[in-house]
Amino acid sequence: MNWNFPAGNFTLRLPLVDQDGAALYDLLKEQTRVDHIPRLAMSVEAQALDELRRMAMRFETREAAFWLVEGAYDQQLLARIGIQKINWMLSSAQLQWELSDAADLPVLQEIMPAVLNFCFAELGLHRIEMRLRAGSEPHETLLQQLGFHYEGCLPAQVEYNDSSVDMALYSFLASDRD
Amino acid sequence: MKFTPELSFSGGRVRPLTYDDVDALFELYQQPELPGQRVLENKDNLVRMVDLSVQMAATQRGMMWALEVDDHIIGMVSAFDWQPSLLRTMLRVDGLPQLTLAQRSAALKTCMDFMADKYHLRNFGYQWIEGQNDAIKTMLTDLGFQQSALMRDAWRSGEQSFANVVQFNYVLDKKKPVAGRLGENSDINPGQNLNAADHSNGGDV
Repeated sequence: MNWNFPAGNFTLRLPLVDQDGAALYDLLKEQTRVDHIPRLAMSVEAQALDELRRMAMRFETREAAFWLVEGAYDQQLLARIGIQKINWMLSSAQLQWELSDAADLPVLQEIMPAVLNFCFAELGLHRIEMRLRAGSEPHETLLQQLGFHYEGCLPAQVEYNDSSVDMALYSFLASDRD
Repeated sequence: MKFTPELSFSGGRVRPLTYDDVDALFELYQQPELPGQRVLENKDNLVRMVDLSVQMAATQRGMMWALEVDDHIIGMVSAFDWQPSLLRTMLRVDGLPQLTLAQRSAALKTCMDFMADKYHLRNFGYQWIEGQNDAIKTMLTDLGFQQSALMRDAWRSGEQSFANVVQFNYVLDKKKPVAGRLGENSDINPGQNLNAADHSNGGDV
């Protein structure tokens, strides 16, 4: 199975440990890009290398798959989009994204249908959900504009900066494409 | 070593699983209550489950209790997806038809109280799956749970069929434990103060 695929003017590919560290660090060193997860931004480039290794290990066990989204022509990294906690029994997975400023709604409208189609058609999944810090704008608006359904808010799911964080829950089903 | 305690509740008790329970557990899983859950065919799986119940409790990943009424196992209480650092876990009760809602509720509360007291857990989740007894939802809200989310098609009930899941959470209104030196924060870390003979007052001497 080929895990790399095109999406309009963009390409999605699995990261390469020995090649993508600098670009990934540039993306993930900004706190605003990971606030919604929530997670601390990277502060040294070595963290990107560590993250790449973790991604590779999690992919080997098919527990997760993360793609780097690049412009098809300029090869600039626009976002990292991934699925994790893949549950092959329940046919579900959790979506996660970190977006650069350039990854706005029109861009995501090109990328996300390809990602979801890959998850449903190639991987045979039925449900893709995203959990993100409640009140995370513009991410929640983007999800709704992309057709995700708001399902509720799970209380006190994560401990972050000495606070319990509630996580909003959105989902997209294979049948939502019809 | 024993990691799962025996606890009494009004009308029965919960206790750790043992190998002697395999026949009773096999009987329990002949009448699965979750939509799509298959009838268990192999008793060997239950021997493995007893092993797992010890391993999970020892490593704080989960806890399983046999639910007994009149010395007969008529159900199980399970804590799973236990996140010690995040102070939360998910709960589940499996029961034979004769397990009443009152017994189910009392057993659940007893196990929650233990985990809140012993491990400082403060967020308990419970997933009700479409097709289960509706009255379980009322039982949960009566216990203090609140509906958090309606998760579409989050449970697989067949090869190509799915069921909605209603997630409930019960978040206790209590202080979180804070790491500290001996004697610090003794009101919320009673175990830290080794000088206190009586911990019921929060460890203060």
